[in-house]
Amino acid sequence: MSSLKRVQQWATFARIWHIYDASWQNPFQSAGLLKKYLMGTYKPIYHPLNDCGDHVVVINSGDIALPGDEWKKRVYFHHTGYPRGASWTLAWQLHKKDPTLVLKKAVYNSMDGNLQRRYTMERLHIYPDANVPADIMKNISNQLATPREVPKRLDHYSEKEVEEFPKIMDYPKNYILR
Amino acid sequence: MNSILKLSRHFLKLEPIKYSNRAISIYPHLKLKEIYETQNGKELLIEGVHIESPRSKYSLKMEDANKCSLCALDLEVKHTDVLILSQYVRNDGCMLPRRVTGLCGKQQRRVSSLVTMAQKAGLMSNLNPANSNKDPKKRNGYKKYNKYFDESTLKKY
Ligand SMILES: [Zn+2]
Repeated sequence: MSSLKRVQQWATFARIWHIYDASWQNPFQSAGLLKKYLMGTYKPIYHPLNDCGDHVVVINSGDIALPGDEWKKRVYFHHTGYPRGASWTLAWQLHKKDPTLVLKKAVYNSMDGNLQRRYTMERLHIYPDANVPADIMKNISNQLATPREVPKRLDHYSEKEVEEFPKIMDYPKNYILR
Repeated sequence: MNSILKLSRHFLKLEPIKYSNRAISIYPHLKLKEIYETQNGKELLIEGVHIESPRSKYSLKMEDANKCSLCALDLEVKHTDVLILSQYVRNDGCMLPRRVTGLCGKQQRRVSSLVTMAQKAGLMSNLNPANSNKDPKKRNGYKKYNKYFDESTLKKY
């Protein structure tokens, strides 16, 4: 066996640890992307009974973004099982209670309900900010590309950048600056 | 009948009222000038100076004079392009009127919607009224969390 083949053999059966920065990402769009790595469906050796999924470490889950007014329109339903035990929680209320839950539920619901789902979810590690324990951080060998570009706030540009940016509109002569 | 009219015109001979050169005006075109006051002993010198626009140095030259600036550039502006959108707002974050922006109706409506989107997403939070909370993370309830908008949902005119 050549050294190339040997490394390929290791890489095929090793569990890879990916990192994913969720800031300004849509959790539901991210879920479809993360699911592929958690289940290992992108691997040529994939089989539902072949335990070949990777680990995914998600950071900054507190900074996820939802489109439009979805924070107050999306509702999470729960029923305790007792009479009048139904409750409806808005997405922003759930996010306030636990900033990892919206993303976790999005990934969980994106997968089929089978006996593997709970084990697959064990390989997803979500952190609300960038503080990841060192023993998890040392495993990471790959960073996943994010589908959405992170927008830059106007006050995060330097004053010089704002001033020297090409101006499309100039004030008319009789305009009072304020 | 005609002759009577002619006669009356001849006798009355209404002269248009001539205004002398007025020193004051309630119209804003005099406020254009920045007013400087300098005191030299007993003498007070007040002078109005035309200010050059801070943008004229970096303004783009438009090829097509018939189109408005955004149509001429053929830009697809998104709500995250805050460096472009901030040119169309006052320093309290309010959209400027069409006679100032010089946009066509279509672009004016589009830009004002994009400005609203950028403000809701907290991307231009420094351009807000002085008494407002500038940090989007300190907003109330659902407003404090990150949100984005899809430009394809804008109404087509
Ligand atoms: Zn136009």
